Amino acid sequence: MKLNLTVISLVLVAAVSFGLYQLSYEVQELEKDLKALNKSISENKESVRILKAEWTYQNRPDVLQSLASKYLPLLLIAPYQVASVGEVPYPPIDPEQYSVPVPRHNPRRDYTPVTPLPKGAIQLATFTHEGSLQ
Amino acid sequence: MSELTWSTKSSRPRITLTPSHGHNNPEDRHMALRLEGSAKETLEQGRNRLVMAGVIFAFCFVILAGRLVGLAISGIGEEDAIASDVDAPPPVAVGESMRAEIRDRNGVLLATTLTTASLFAEPKNIIDPKEVAAKLTTVLDDLSEAAILSKLASAKNFVWLKRNLTPTQQYQVNALGIPGLHFREEEKRFYPMGALVSHVMGFTDVDNHGIAGVEKYFDDQLSGSRDRASQELMLSLDVRIQHALRDELSRHMSIFRAIGAAGMVMDVQTGEILGMVSLPDFDPNRPNDFSGDAKFNRISLGVYEMGSTFKTFTTAMALDMGVVGLQGGYDATDPIRKAGFRIRDDHPKKRWLSVPEIFMYSSNIGAAKMADDVGPKKHKAFLAKLGLLDKPSLEIPELGAPILPPRWNSLETMTISFGHGLSVSPLQLSTGISAIVNGGNYINPTVIRRDKGKLTPVRQVISAKTSDTMRRLMRLVVEKGTGGKASAAGYLVGGKTGTAEKAVGGRYKRDALIASFVSAFPMNDPRYVVFAMLDEPKGNAQTHGFRSAGWTAAPIVGRLISRIGPILSIQPVEEESEAVQKAMFIPINSREKKLASF
Repeated sequence: MKLNLTVISLVLVAAVSFGLYQLSYEVQELEKDLKALNKSISENKESVRILKAEWTYQNRPDVLQSLASKYLPLLLIAPYQVASVGEVPYPPIDPEQYSVPVPRHNPRRDYTPVTPLPKGAIQLATFTHEGSLQ
Repeated sequence: MSELTWSTKSSRPRITLTPSHGHNNPEDRHMALRLEGSAKETLEQGRNRLVMAGVIFAFCFVILAGRLVGLAISGIGEEDAIASDVDAPPPVAVGESMRAEIRDRNGVLLATTLTTASLFAEPKNIIDPKEVAAKLTTVLDDLSEAAILSKLASAKNFVWLKRNLTPTQQYQVNALGIPGLHFREEEKRFYPMGALVSHVMGFTDVDNHGIAGVEKYFDDQLSGSRDRASQELMLSLDVRIQHALRDELSRHMSIFRAIGAAGMVMDVQTGEILGMVSLPDFDPNRPNDFSGDAKFNRISLGVYEMGSTFKTFTTAMALDMGVVGLQGGYDATDPIRKAGFRIRDDHPKKRWLSVPEIFMYSSNIGAAKMADDVGPKKHKAFLAKLGLLDKPSLEIPELGAPILPPRWNSLETMTISFGHGLSVSPLQLSTGISAIVNGGNYINPTVIRRDKGKLTPVRQVISAKTSDTMRRLMRLVVEKGTGGKASAAGYLVGGKTGTAEKAVGGRYKRDALIASFVSAFPMNDPRYVVFAMLDEPKGNAQTHGFRSAGWTAAPIVGRLISRIGPILSIQPVEEESEAVQKAMFIPINSREKKLASF
């Protein structure tokens, strides 16, 4: 019994310390990762800064102006070219295309042909007491 | 007689005695040894010592185990510092030690700090300096081979070869693979816009300390300190307007062969400066390559006798104080002679002129008489209210104080009424004009973006009614008077020309002029004040040899406003329409004898 207790406690100590060390190494590993990540973040931030500066440099107004004058047929905006949305006229209706009204559905759909009246004297319809047509 | 052995069965050491004669008596087997006297004492002492040592060791191990558990649970304590950063005050985009960025009102980058690599060499570790120099010049073409060789030949341990390489250059140098060359990371202030915003921006020295412009004024905020993070700065400038302004100014500067030019655009409601250009200018990326003249800010630091633009103040003052009405006027037939001076008109009409006519034909005689009626004391007080007699306040260190006349009597009042005898900076003039046109509120100018909702402290300098009259008068100058070339169709430009002779060595130089034009638009509801100035313009064939402001400075404003109007989202109006004509109407009351018309 005594022997067992000793063995068990020894095993337990070994297991716990193994676990503990394992945990510790894992934490160290994670810390290393964290440090690397932080470093790469700051490096990326630095490159973003450089790229932004580069972007701004390439987009200097004088560069854009020379490019626009070279490639775009644009001049200064004349006052008549400025208008509010309300001033924009509706597109004109082309009379050729829209002079004939287009029906929304086939007008002949509900059409029932007029049946000609029977020849001879016109018979007046009378009602029977039951209410049906005679 | 007997042997002492350690029994292995029990954990406790026990001494057993085995009899030498060898018969196996079970009772004798476990018979403990009993010792008496000094032997027993010695043994007891040894045992005690052993126990003591055991306890100490056990204690140490317990501590070690505790520490181990502690370490495994909490770590070394580094990530605690990182975790606490999450709750730290507002995150700064920039690394803690980096100088903060400067942006324009739309967020366009104007100044940033980049980490650059600087190349240095350890001459002792360089094997073949000649080869190194030859290789390096293929990559860094601005270095000469001889210069590199002389540096490498020195007996020092450390020599800088080139500071602040571009990333491409660094890569190329790295690719050469030369031993003995190393990089050191350094911070470098970089201005992507170059010379475009040079004077407002200023520049920094090698250690990234601001030594001019907003870089100096906001040095503490930009660089930050140990307890305060650096904070980025948003200027009121708009690079698009700044560019249009600089473009027009430099074009007209070369057309009229002027030695300098300056211009600014200012919001009359908030006092924000949207554009401020002084030519010649410099590139803040390499300020040492430019002369002092290029670094001189003509807008805020230079003070000039502004000429006829001052008639705006004179007229506003006379009308506001009720000294003369719009129907009134003065006789401008003969030049005024006073204390040996002669005040005359450039284009004399030689007749009685009404107040609108005095303003529109820019009559010195009329303005002088008007100011004389007001009197020197009130004149001085009025100009002081407009901030023309004190050093202005703006967030840049380069500010010029106005030069006042040594005494201010009737004669001085007369000359100052048409802008001679008092030197002010264009910044002060524009601020004063914006107060005249915006309804009479003086607003301090600023180069920092102001939020629309935030009201800026204002003081009323003239009544709203006078301000309205002044707007109509300024519009009249562009419509029918001296400033016709400043008109930008649709934007209702109004303004005042100003041509002044430069005072050099106490005398006025007839051939050196300062031609300026100060304007506001749109005149029915002024939003922006635009100022343009040319330093010593020369006439050309197109201007028929004239160099006055109406021919040289006014076209700058006209072109500029038609360029920036759409950017500033100003709705153009039909200038000939009845409503606009009515809104801008002003009775001229001319007494000009017209030819009989039937």
